[in-house]
Amino acid sequence: MRKLLGEPMLHFLLIGLALFGAYRWVSPRASGGGRIVITQGILDDLVTQHVAARGREPSTSELHHLIESYVRDEILYREGVRLGLERDDLVVKRRVRQKIEMIAEEDAATRAPTEADLSAYLLANQARFARPAVFTFEQVFIGESQPGPAVVHVVTITGEALRRGVDPEGLGKPTLLPHRMTTTPADLVARDFGPVFAAALEQAPVGEWVGPIDSSFGAHYVRVSDRTPAAAPQLAAVRDQVVREWENERRQRARNDAYTKMRGEYQVSIEATRATEGR
Amino acid sequence: MRQLVIGTAFLAAACGGPQSTPAPAAPTAGQPSAAVQLGGPPTGVGTSTADTGEIKPADPTTFYKTPGYSPYAGRNYPERPYFGDEHVHTAWSVDAGGSGATLGPEEATRFARGDEVTSTSGQPVKLGQPLDWVAITDHSDMMGMISEIKGGNPEMMADPTIKRWREMFNGGPVEAKKAVMELVAAQANKKLPPIASDPRFAKSVWAKTTTIAEKYNEPGRFTAFIGYEWTSNAGGGDNLHRNIIYRDNKDKADRVLPFTTFQSENPEDLWKWMTEWEKTTGGKILAIPHNGNLSNGRMFALTTFSGDPLTKAWADARRRWEPLFEAIQMKGQSESHPSLSPTDDFAAYELWDRGNLTQTPKKPGMIAREYAREALKNGLRIEQDLGSNPFKFGMAGGTDTHNGLVAAEEDNFFAKFPSAEPRPDRWEEDAMNFGPNRIVKGWEMTAAGYTAVWATGNTRAELWDAMMRRETYATSGPRMIVRFFGGYDFTQADATRSPAVAGYAKGVPMGADLPAAPAGKAPTFLVAALKDRYSGNLDRIQIIKGWLGKDGMPQEKLYDVVWGDKDRRRIVNGKLTPVGNTVDVATATWTNTIGDPELVAVWKDPDFDPAVRAVYYARVLEIPTPRWTAYDAAYFKIKITDPKVPMTTQERAFTSPIWYSPQ
Repeated sequence: MRKLLGEPMLHFLLIGLALFGAYRWVSPRASGGGRIVITQGILDDLVTQHVAARGREPSTSELHHLIESYVRDEILYREGVRLGLERDDLVVKRRVRQKIEMIAEEDAATRAPTEADLSAYLLANQARFARPAVFTFEQVFIGESQPGPAVVHVVTITGEALRRGVDPEGLGKPTLLPHRMTTTPADLVARDFGPVFAAALEQAPVGEWVGPIDSSFGAHYVRVSDRTPAAAPQLAAVRDQVVREWENERRQRARNDAYTKMRGEYQVSIEATRATEGR
Repeated sequence: MRQLVIGTAFLAAACGGPQSTPAPAAPTAGQPSAAVQLGGPPTGVGTSTADTGEIKPADPTTFYKTPGYSPYAGRNYPERPYFGDEHVHTAWSVDAGGSGATLGPEEATRFARGDEVTSTSGQPVKLGQPLDWVAITDHSDMMGMISEIKGGNPEMMADPTIKRWREMFNGGPVEAKKAVMELVAAQANKKLPPIASDPRFAKSVWAKTTTIAEKYNEPGRFTAFIGYEWTSNAGGGDNLHRNIIYRDNKDKADRVLPFTTFQSENPEDLWKWMTEWEKTTGGKILAIPHNGNLSNGRMFALTTFSGDPLTKAWADARRRWEPLFEAIQMKGQSESHPSLSPTDDFAAYELWDRGNLTQTPKKPGMIAREYAREALKNGLRIEQDLGSNPFKFGMAGGTDTHNGLVAAEEDNFFAKFPSAEPRPDRWEEDAMNFGPNRIVKGWEMTAAGYTAVWATGNTRAELWDAMMRRETYATSGPRMIVRFFGGYDFTQADATRSPAVAGYAKGVPMGADLPAAPAGKAPTFLVAALKDRYSGNLDRIQIIKGWLGKDGMPQEKLYDVVWGDKDRRRIVNGKLTPVGNTVDVATATWTNTIGDPELVAVWKDPDFDPAVRAVYYARVLEIPTPRWTAYDAAYFKIKITDPKVPMTTQERAFTSPIWYSPQ
């Protein structure tokens, strides 16, 4: 029974019942009030929405339907609000909260960053915008990198063949890994082959078959044919990203600042206690 | 909290209620003038420089046909799959926001591309591996949230310019057009009245969504698709949802608001809307249905929405607009069901098969109209009868997350709703509760899935074109690489260093049709898979064949075509012996000491009849690894003793099919 009394569903039902009773009690006087005026502005809005959704003007019957459902929304909404039904509704609350957060964010978005803002932001976040090394390379997959006489043999044979100029197409083990990547940034190479492999490409001599180099899959022979080293970012090259990150940070700060400010205007007192365990 | 879950699940299910008032795409809105990149060119990332020309949609046959001296010339086929999620809800979906999700599309997109974010429950979270692309697909229903933007708003009208424009708009078509021209010019010259950019009157949520996609779309590095979900719950929860994916950019997407179920719950009306949309904007869109398993017999029904017999026009439209089907996600898989495929030992996987989205119980016969495999087989029959196959779809996977986190990794599972983000009790709580016997438990949630797309480069256009030609496969989460080609001349020698070279030269890729069979020849398939470097080794590759029997009834057969640990495993009574299991549930660990990291094979259909329609697809299975429930138990130091709760999983991929039709 105790458990039952603690059940939120029961509370919900009881509240519902009480509300229903209250409604019966107050409705003869409280309801039926108010005037709903469909102004030109409202009607135009309904039409605009219809056009935006359907791509054409509403027909006569559709227009009537639009007005009817607007009126129905409005009446039921007003009646609900009259009963205070919006008050302890989590969904309504969150929806309204979202709106106010969005408005706070939009406020922040109205100011475009200046050159000085962007330069300062870039300077403070060099690593995030650093331009990774870019490679063009081919690879021949030798297989699992466990040491052993057989593997060493394969490695040696393959290495010699490649250096003699044998077509890499006929060498190595089958693999679904790309056998060639063209002007690909190091982080995308790492996505396919693993970070250790990508790092090794930064050191490899250009134009020569070298190996074995380990990836997440095993050992490879690799020939880097072109390499642009990693570089500190220049604003001109990463401008779009810097603007995006600057705006994102500002947006999030605006949201939090708005809340902090509002929070400061409220006094919250917790007049309840509850024993808890753990952290 | 439990109450909340009920309420929001109902919203997810019903998403109905009165007509919302989507914000008008206010022409006065301060539309961003940020550089909008149009139809990004192929990027060359991961492809040869030999040819950076754009491949025409749906024509992979031109990828590699003329071997010349240079082995690289003409090699402009897709060289790597791009992994992404075509199904993401954020706080801007009414049910997600209502359940407390605080991460909007911007945070969701940042998370998908690999940034660390703070989840709704306050936990820092980051993907193990960034995705290559994402489509944020918030529900179109009730999307217009900032609805107080009133055309006749007195504050707006206080501005003389806006007032004048408004009068011109109302003054007839010629005047209205003039007003539009003035407005466009004012916007371009940054001379809009200040009130027009006041955030309170700013933009529809749709325009904001597309702006975010635009900001994060970086051709060659990360693709952010524009998209939304059309959420049809016919008959109170029969899941007929579709995700709409745009090939184009904001300029086209903003011209028409998304289609809602307030307009219609009938997919045929969605297809009409899509037709209209393409005509109006000159752009391209496609739809991906999902959760056949929750449709109570309607996703692949053999009648129309209103119960009429199928027609050729209906079949043509469905095939045209719905090239992919999402076969796995957090609410279970819809690839195969044990009751339909009794010989398939792996069909009983992540099943949500008791009811529809609101857990209204199923009646006998419904399951036969819910799963992809059965639909592929039925499609052959419909094609025979009507001359058109409506169920000619490829495979996709998505998360359907509702907290903005596409965290489908078993060891990083942030689940579907904020209330189910990592917590010790989440496995035993109700994920959905619609009353007695209409409950889905927390542990039943599936940590899945993603779509792999074989595109020539990572751009909206290239990925979309690959989706349209169905060159895709679904995974339950891991990023295994899977190739699947069909032709008549594959031999063991083609299982070479680069299967794709032979694959495209001598055959067609996943999603395509086999050409006519040369006399006396049977189809051969070149199939290969490479493990996810962070996940389990591979157990086996299977090819699943569906065909029409002599009596015109659909049949199916599974073939194990290649497997790991070849030296120690045997076929016994027609079944391959299991790969074994190295999972230590207590510590949620395993070792890759069984299975193989890579499998490749050529397989020839031993039972081919050239007079009979057939469909083939591949399924790749990993060795057993810990399921998210095991990671939860280990991390939170809890005991999960309920024998119903699986603690290990066999992750998998299903490819799009290859079809054969007698000429």
